[in-house]
Amino acid sequence: MSANRILELVESAEETYRDMSLASVKAWKEKTGGLAIGFMPIYVPRELLHAQGVLPVGIMGGGDDLEIIRGDAYYQSYICHIPRSTIELGLGGQLDCLDGMLFPAICDVIRNLSGMWKFEFPEKLSRYLDVPQDFTPEMGGEFYKSELLALIADLEKRGARPYDKEALRASIRLFNELGGIVRDLYALRRASPWKVPTAELYCLQRAATIWPVEEAITILREYHELVLADETRTPMDQARVVLAGSFCEQPPLGLIKTLERSGCYIVDDDFIQVHRWITRSLDVEGDPLEALVNGFLFDAMASPTRYCGDKTKGTELVTRVETAGAEGVLFCAPSFCDPALLDQPMAVASIEKAGIPWTAFRYSENNGQFQVIREQAGTFADSIKLWSGV
Amino acid sequence: MTKEQHDSLLVAGIDVGSASVQVVVMRDNGPAGAEVLAHSSERLRRREPADVAQTTFNSCLEAAGLVATDLQYIATTGEGECVPFRTGHFYGMTAHARGGIFLAPDAKAILDVGALHARAVMMDEKAKVLGYRMTSQCASGSGQFLENISRYLGVTMDEVGPLSLEADNPEVCSAICAVLAETDVINMVSREISTANIIRGIHDSMAGRFAKLLRSLKVEGMALVTGGLSADVGLVAALEDACCSKKGNISVTTHELSAHAGAIGAAIWGAFRFRKLAGKGLQLGVGAS
Repeated sequence: MSANRILELVESAEETYRDMSLASVKAWKEKTGGLAIGFMPIYVPRELLHAQGVLPVGIMGGGDDLEIIRGDAYYQSYICHIPRSTIELGLGGQLDCLDGMLFPAICDVIRNLSGMWKFEFPEKLSRYLDVPQDFTPEMGGEFYKSELLALIADLEKRGARPYDKEALRASIRLFNELGGIVRDLYALRRASPWKVPTAELYCLQRAATIWPVEEAITILREYHELVLADETRTPMDQARVVLAGSFCEQPPLGLIKTLERSGCYIVDDDFIQVHRWITRSLDVEGDPLEALVNGFLFDAMASPTRYCGDKTKGTELVTRVETAGAEGVLFCAPSFCDPALLDQPMAVASIEKAGIPWTAFRYSENNGQFQVIREQAGTFADSIKLWSGV
Repeated sequence: MTKEQHDSLLVAGIDVGSASVQVVVMRDNGPAGAEVLAHSSERLRRREPADVAQTTFNSCLEAAGLVATDLQYIATTGEGECVPFRTGHFYGMTAHARGGIFLAPDAKAILDVGALHARAVMMDEKAKVLGYRMTSQCASGSGQFLENISRYLGVTMDEVGPLSLEADNPEVCSAICAVLAETDVINMVSREISTANIIRGIHDSMAGRFAKLLRSLKVEGMALVTGGLSADVGLVAALEDACCSKKGNISVTTHELSAHAGAIGAAIWGAFRFRKLAGKGLQLGVGAS
């Protein structure tokens, strides 16, 4: 019974995120009359949008369901896939129900995409969300606050509710709750990875960037309770790995399933970071805007898209491996992803120094063949199981 | 379990191939060695691999006089990720290398010839894979190709090997492309070449490719033929000739359980993992139904 319900939840999540017509967003808009704003991967302060009555909608490319016809004309062949599929979605009308798009500071390609969006969709809100790379309150903090105030003003101009501190506090509470449930699921997966297959967690997290936060909380909480109670999920002999590098362009679901089937338990990953970007609950007592700023400055995840001091790149990955009790690292980055691939040598140097086995491969969001990766991940898992510590 | 019980483990290996499923049940005594208690094999014949794996596993257990809960580890290999009751899965090369060392302790390499491809795997004495080479995507180096040819010639797969040994003037055929080879065979039939000489020609062409795989790995010493075609005496004879005919020091051998090498290797690795995990205080349940 619970296994069926878990399957239902996961299938519904997959259906939601694969639906490129965004039917659930259209239904929400029809019901509430509110604005819906798309956002690209990594992080945007969804609390702010929610507080102004706006539905934040995660747009993470077209995945393996979309044929690129016009998108390729906008980008050279040595550019990653997500901007092509995103612009394809825009030009194809699938994102028409969105009232705007936010482009977080990920890399030059996404900055470039935000510029194209302005040209192609001048009637929509299109904003590149610049974030500080200086983490002092007086400099980076002031800058980020000014960015957030500009975003508030932009949303108000588009018809969103005026900014209200109490509303923002309430929204922060909700997103704190969602973040807490996601962190709990990650903790459960670290402890008992057979209870929380990554493919399931991925679908739920991905859909939770589209569902209204209240609905996402209910669904993810139910899933958490069901898998905890499900005695049919028993452990297998698999290698525990951290999967690093998939923070922007997302891998096809088939790739995640392939990695799990090939003998790996993924016990930590970089998928859908928006739920976990701020690593703890934000303060709800003081100025809520300050809470968002401070969260970004002091409690954000380490990421190739954020500045780290000299000689600290890669050490965070070693800590993650140790915290997760992992036995190896799979560097699984999108082809041509500058932030991931430029950081990879530093990460490799750190984990090699710590004696952690690793292997690396690349993907594109529309990959459909995984045989080579399957062999690579499978033999890597074998090498960990049979030869590590021997 | 006590330490004494860890000294003797009951394990199963399930090798799900593209044409058949092989299962072994073994007693593994650690450094004192291992023994095969029972083995079973079943062709897939368009059935669900997971279903065939379950029935073959059940019959093998019955032959060994055991029930699933007697086992400490159920290991799969090949396409065995589809077996839901497995304890763990090992990759084909890893499993065949270990099975090869079990069946022929002096082997330096195995040549796994299956329905869809062939691969040469070089390993050390601990069965650690040192390198491998596979046939390319063309089917002309596969068991499926040989099965197609035997069907055209109206002989069963069991007759192929002995017939090949009767050849007196083998006819050369394409070793590059299965389509060209099949065309060659049609021409040979119309030219009234004997079935034995046609089959030996096919065997020679396949053996030539396999010998190249072994030589490119710089294998020195014994290579054990494993996989479904290891029982084809004609192919093994052709392979012996191909390995002797050129520079190099490769001898070819086979074993009556060669077809089960993957399952055997997986089972032995399963026992190894069981002890390794037990050493860390971990124990996995066996979920076989």
